[in-house]
Amino acid sequence: MAIGTDILMIDDDKDLVNSIRIVLESREYTVRAAYNGKEGYAKIQEKTPNLIILDVMMATDTEGFDLAYKLRNDPRYQNIPIIMVTAFPKKMAEEGPDKFQHILGESWPVSQFIEKPIDPEVLLTSLEKVLKEAHRV
Amino acid sequence: MRLGYELVKEQLFFQKELIERARWFIRLRWAAVGAALLGSWAAFLFEPRFPVFPLTLIALSILLYNIVFLLVWHRIHSRVPHHVRAFNVFAHVQISMDLAALYGIVYCTGGIHSPLLIFVIFHIILAGILLSPVSCYAYGIMVAVVTGLLLGLQEWALSSPLPVLFQSSLFPRDAESAHLVVHYGVFVAAILMTAFLTTSLKGTLRTKGRELLYVSKELEASNAKLTALYEMLKRIGLSSDLQELMDLATRNAAGIMGVKACSIKLLDEDRKRLNFASSYGLSLDYVAKGSIEIDKSPINRKVIEGSFFSIGKIDEKDYFQYPEDIRKEGIASMVCLPLRVEKMAIGVLCVYSDVSHHFDDEEIRFFSLMSDLIALAIETLRSEINKTWFLRKAAHQLRSPFTAMYSMLKVLGAGYLGPMSKEQKEMVLRCIKRIEMLGDLINDLLKLGIKRVEADKASLHPVDGGSILNGLATLFQSQAREKQVEVIFGVEEDLPQIMGDERLLDELFTNLISNAVKYTPAGGSVRVLLARENQNRVRLEVADTGIGVPEEDQRRLFTEFFRAENAKALVEEGTGLGLVIVKEILDHLGGTISLESHVGQGTRIRCLLPAI
Repeated sequence: MAIGTDILMIDDDKDLVNSIRIVLESREYTVRAAYNGKEGYAKIQEKTPNLIILDVMMATDTEGFDLAYKLRNDPRYQNIPIIMVTAFPKKMAEEGPDKFQHILGESWPVSQFIEKPIDPEVLLTSLEKVLKEAHRV
Repeated sequence: MRLGYELVKEQLFFQKELIERARWFIRLRWAAVGAALLGSWAAFLFEPRFPVFPLTLIALSILLYNIVFLLVWHRIHSRVPHHVRAFNVFAHVQISMDLAALYGIVYCTGGIHSPLLIFVIFHIILAGILLSPVSCYAYGIMVAVVTGLLLGLQEWALSSPLPVLFQSSLFPRDAESAHLVVHYGVFVAAILMTAFLTTSLKGTLRTKGRELLYVSKELEASNAKLTALYEMLKRIGLSSDLQELMDLATRNAAGIMGVKACSIKLLDEDRKRLNFASSYGLSLDYVAKGSIEIDKSPINRKVIEGSFFSIGKIDEKDYFQYPEDIRKEGIASMVCLPLRVEKMAIGVLCVYSDVSHHFDDEEIRFFSLMSDLIALAIETLRSEINKTWFLRKAAHQLRSPFTAMYSMLKVLGAGYLGPMSKEQKEMVLRCIKRIEMLGDLINDLLKLGIKRVEADKASLHPVDGGSILNGLATLFQSQAREKQVEVIFGVEEDLPQIMGDERLLDELFTNLISNAVKYTPAGGSVRVLLARENQNRVRLEVADTGIGVPEEDQRRLFTEFFRAENAKALVEEGTGLGLVIVKEILDHLGGTISLESHVGQGTRIRCLLPAI
């Protein structure tokens, strides 16, 4: 199943993207990368990926959330599984400023949430799990 | 026009005076009875013909009816304390009875020739004080008539009072009838003059009293306003959400000022536009007009520059671009003031009334005090939010390179980039270990910073410590099982609540328990107990069978970055900040911590927390 599965990773940290890319490509995933929300959205429109790994805080504190919502509200993309990653420990995010809290208060639009630092093995496990679930649906 | 309520209040004020006076006259009468008895018997000693017995009789009857009056006064006072009419009737009865008694005495001591006749003047004064002017004049006329009758009867010998023993200057005994008429005229004039003077003097006093009442009412009103302002500040001071704070402020400000609406507009970052930040009592349409460009709004510009703007009647002056919008809101008058922090405006606070000319100078002054305080509250909260926000930003900035490095090392260590020699792999694993420690340090530092800010903000309230501890139990038990350390939790029954904050207590418990677990080798145990220490303290006890803290290190345990040598030997990672966070939290809660430890045997930490 992994072969050719198209994964889009959106994160503004190129080093991080490259290291994850190595891991994913070793498992025969096809990896595309984008370094901000806008670029990511363009890549999605270009070709719908099988899964998105999305960073929360990029240029703005909620860029990742904003994109996730945009996708969830678009019938074309609302079924793409998303793995959300953030350097913010989850607890801090929950206690965050108004905008954060507001977003987290609504139904969480994400398939999986993992905290940075990313352990490649952990990422691989959740990725397989999310893909399997998505496939079943 | 004054309100009915105020009139009633004023009446109550004067009625209180009436009741007090009625009581005072009763007291005065005891003295009068005493004086009458003493006087009569003294006179009797000098002059055996003095009618001492009738006078004693009259004095005793005064005594008797005064007792009755006293009882009646108490009865009215306890049953119908606000019944003005009852006290009025009571006053009439008192004066009438006194006059009757006086005329009895006068009759006994020589009728119109009695020197005691002059005492009627006092009764007129009393009537003037107690009763309405009309009643006072009525008593005056009555006295004149009764005295006239007495004069007529005596002069034409129709009645013969008891022997005349004293010479009075009012109606001399040997004066001719014609002269007596003149004397009588003077007497009546004196009586009426007394009535006039007393009633007009009382009128003046009443006006003064009314003024005093008015001033006290004003004071009462401004006191009520200040109290309300204080309450509002207390409430908004506790708010940690800017929107909530401003909504509270507008709602309360409208309430305190007694107006229909209030709004807060804040300046944007480049200070060119004002945006509605909160409003109370205004329609959505009105608020939704969006932001106001200051350059196009001379009123708002004036306010931002520091002066206040007040308009008594909206259509009075051609101030507004869209007066119809304002009228549609039902606004008749308004006042706007700058929200200033150290002379720098951050926005505009307005109140709107549906009554024209609602705001007088006094109210504008008060409103200005309120606007300064609201501005201060807004700015304080904003800077607090900024502080926390800065720390969160810093967290992200610091964590980004760390997370990238961690992932890269993990990729390298897992051999994704090809096989490594044993030494290379070991080195990479050491790198990962060290970088994990760096991550913990960053986390703890930021937590400490954020805790400091949050602890400042956290308002203490009763918290159920037991449920917080129980919430942590599962988490720690599974963690400890991995380490083969037994963790036993105990919460005493009927534990009083702790004065604290859920988040802070959670952090406090977590830090202490995880520390104990961390420094307890496999096979050991950690006992956690929450119990009542005394009337106003709850004790948290965390006792482990761990490595213990050497005595020389115990004192430095709560200083930043300190870690005991044996702790470092057992667990390599550790930031030395956990107990600092504990100390910070305890300082904020007003709690204390003590430690008892023996190397190799274990450590017992006791925290005493304020309970309620």
